[in-house]
Amino acid sequence: MNELSVQFDGVCKRYAHFALEDIHLELPTGSIMGFIGANGAGKSTTIRILMGLVHQDKGSVQVLGHPMPAEQAAAKFDIGFVSEDMRLYGAATLAWHMDFLKPIYPRWDAAYAEVLARRFDLKPEQRIKGLSHGQRVKAALLLALARRPRLLVLDEPTTGLDPVARVEVLGELMAALADEERTILFSSHNTLDVEQISDQITFIDRGRIIDSDDKETFLDRWRRLRLVLPPDVAVPHLPGVVEVGGSGRLPVLTTNCFEPAMVSVCNELGATVQAVDTMTLEEIFLANVHSRRERVTA
Amino acid sequence: MNYSMVKSLVLKDWYFQRKAILLCLGGGIASLAIVAFGGKVGFYLGLVLLITILIVIAATVVMGTLVGERDNQTLAFVMSLPISFRDYTAAKMLVNLLIFIPFWLVLTAGSLGLVLAAPPIRGLFAFTVIMAVEILVSTCLMIAVALVTESKGWTTSAMIAGNLALDVVGYMVAHIPGIGNGMFGPVVHWRPAATVSLIVEFALIALMLGGAFFIQSRKREFI
Amino acid sequence: MYTQYIDMHSDIVISQSDSRPMYLQIMEQIKQRVAVGEWAAGEEIPSIRQLAVALRVSVITIKRAYLELEREGVIVTQQGKGSIVAPNPDLSPRLYDEEFSRHLEKVAELGELLGLSSEEIARRTREASRRMNQASRTKENV
Repeated sequence: MNELSVQFDGVCKRYAHFALEDIHLELPTGSIMGFIGANGAGKSTTIRILMGLVHQDKGSVQVLGHPMPAEQAAAKFDIGFVSEDMRLYGAATLAWHMDFLKPIYPRWDAAYAEVLARRFDLKPEQRIKGLSHGQRVKAALLLALARRPRLLVLDEPTTGLDPVARVEVLGELMAALADEERTILFSSHNTLDVEQISDQITFIDRGRIIDSDDKETFLDRWRRLRLVLPPDVAVPHLPGVVEVGGSGRLPVLTTNCFEPAMVSVCNELGATVQAVDTMTLEEIFLANVHSRRERVTA
Repeated sequence: MNYSMVKSLVLKDWYFQRKAILLCLGGGIASLAIVAFGGKVGFYLGLVLLITILIVIAATVVMGTLVGERDNQTLAFVMSLPISFRDYTAAKMLVNLLIFIPFWLVLTAGSLGLVLAAPPIRGLFAFTVIMAVEILVSTCLMIAVALVTESKGWTTSAMIAGNLALDVVGYMVAHIPGIGNGMFGPVVHWRPAATVSLIVEFALIALMLGGAFFIQSRKREFI
Repeated sequence: MYTQYIDMHSDIVISQSDSRPMYLQIMEQIKQRVAVGEWAAGEEIPSIRQLAVALRVSVITIKRAYLELEREGVIVTQQGKGSIVAPNPDLSPRLYDEEFSRHLEKVAELGELLGLSSEEIARRTREASRRMNQASRTKENV
C-alpha cells in the first residue's frame, strides 16, 4: 500500500500570464489536506495537473501510484473529483447521473448514494437545471462520494454553500475518512473549514508553494507577541519574525517559529511581553503571503 | 483504449441528442414521402428538404456534442471519468459519424435510386455520388474543427466554408470532362475521373479526421 | 459569526469562538467526563478516527489530544485495540487546579484593565472566598 496518495516533484507549468513553479506536494494516505491560496494563486491549475487534465511542463506527478498524465484513466477509477466550475448535465436528472456512473465504477455504493440523497435533501428525480447552486454542489459531491473513491479531490467544495449545507458537507467528508485508506485533498478560501478538518495544510501564492506542514505544527509555530518597549530599547531580534507591526513603543511581532523561551529573551532585552497571541489559520496565511510579497518587491 | 468507456460516452451523447435525432428522422421520412409521391414539384422540394435536414442534424449534433461540453461546463465532469484524451476524442468522433452517416446514407441511396429510376437523368449518377460524398467531406471538416477548437465561432465558420465549398466543388466537378460529359443524358457512366475524385474526397476525410485525432492527442490542456 | 458544532453522536461540543487550540478543548471535555464519571475508569473510548468523524475535527488534532491525555495518565492506548480510560485516572486535583489557574489569570487581566492594584485584587479575592464559605455553611445548616 502506497504511503503517499499524491506526490508532486518539481512540477512546473507555464502559461502566457501565469506560471506554476517548482511545486512539491506530498499527501499521505488516510489524511486530509487543505490547500489555501488567493484567487489565481494556482490552486486550480495544480489540481488539474493532479487529475491529468493539464500536462505539466516539467516534473513528475504520482497519484495513487500512477504517473500522471500517462495513466490518468487508470488513476481516475479511484478518484472522485468535484470542482467549482464543473457542471452536471442540466437536462438530465440526478438519478440519470447515478445510473450513468454505476456501471463505470466497480465500488459504486447505491445504498450509500440513497443515504446521501436523503442527508443532502436531494430528490433524484429532479432535473439538475432546476437545482439551486448549493444543491448542485451537493449533487456533484454525492456522485463523487458514492463511488467510494480512494482519493477525493475537491476544488472549493464549500464555496457558495449556506451554513447548514456546509456543515453537512464537512460531516460527509469526515465520514468518508473513517476508512483509513481514503485520502482527501481540498482547496478552499474558507480557512475556518480548513482549520477544522485538515490534517495537512499547504499555502500557495503566485504559483509557488509557500508553506506546507501539518496543522497542529502550523498553529503551534505561529504567534503574535505584543511588546511594550521602554524609550531606549530597540525591537528585539527574534528568529522567524515575518512582520513587525504596531507602533514604535508598542510593537507587535509576528513569528513563525515560536518558542516559549522567546518570552524570557524579550524580558532580558528589556521588553515587556504583554501578550502572546495564537493566530487563526487565516491570520497565519495572510501574514505568510504578505511577508513574502514584501520580500519579493523589496 | 477503453472500449466500454467509449461505448458509455457514445450512448450518453445519443441520449442527449435523442430529440434532435427523432425530429430529423421524422422530417427525413416525410421528405422522402414528398419526393416519392409529390410529383415534379415534390421531387425538388423533397430533395431540398432532405438536404436541409442533413445539414441540420450535422450542425445540431456537432454543436451539441463537441461545442456543448465546453459551453455547458460539463467537460470537467466527463474528463473526471476514468478516460484518457484519446477515449474522449474517439467517442466524440464515433457518435457524430454514427448519427450522421445513416441519415447521409438514406439521402444518398434515395437520390441515387431516383436518378437511376428516371431515365432522362441517369447520367447524373456519377455527379450525384461525388456530391454526396462531398457532403460527407464538409461534415467531417465541421467535426474536425469542432473537436479541435471546441468553439462555436470556428465551427460555424467551418460549416459556412463547407457549404460554400459544396457550391464551388459542384461547379468544378460538373465541368470536369470525365464527369460533366453526358451528365444530362440517359446513360449511366463511370469514368476514371470519377474514381479519382472519390479517392481525393475519401483521402480528405481521412486527413481531416486523422489530423484532428493527432492534434487532440498532442493537446497539453484539456480543460 | 462563529458557530457551534454540535454533533448528535457525541456529547462533546467544540466551540469555534473559544480561542484556545481545539486539542486543548477536546482534552478538557474528555477530562471533565472522566472527572464526573460519565466516562468510567477502564471503559473503552472512541478511537481517534471515530471521534474525528463524530466531531468533524481533523484526525491529527484528536491524535494530539489523545497523546497528551495519555502522557497525563488520563487514558491508556493499547496497541491495535483502541483506547480506554485509565484504570485510576488521577486528574481531579489537576483538572480543578488548571481551571483555577486559568480563572486567576483572567482575574488578573480584568483587574489590570480596571486599573486595580495587586492589593485591591487580592482583597476582593479574599472577600469572594469569604462569601463562598458563608454560602456553603448556610446551605449545610438548612
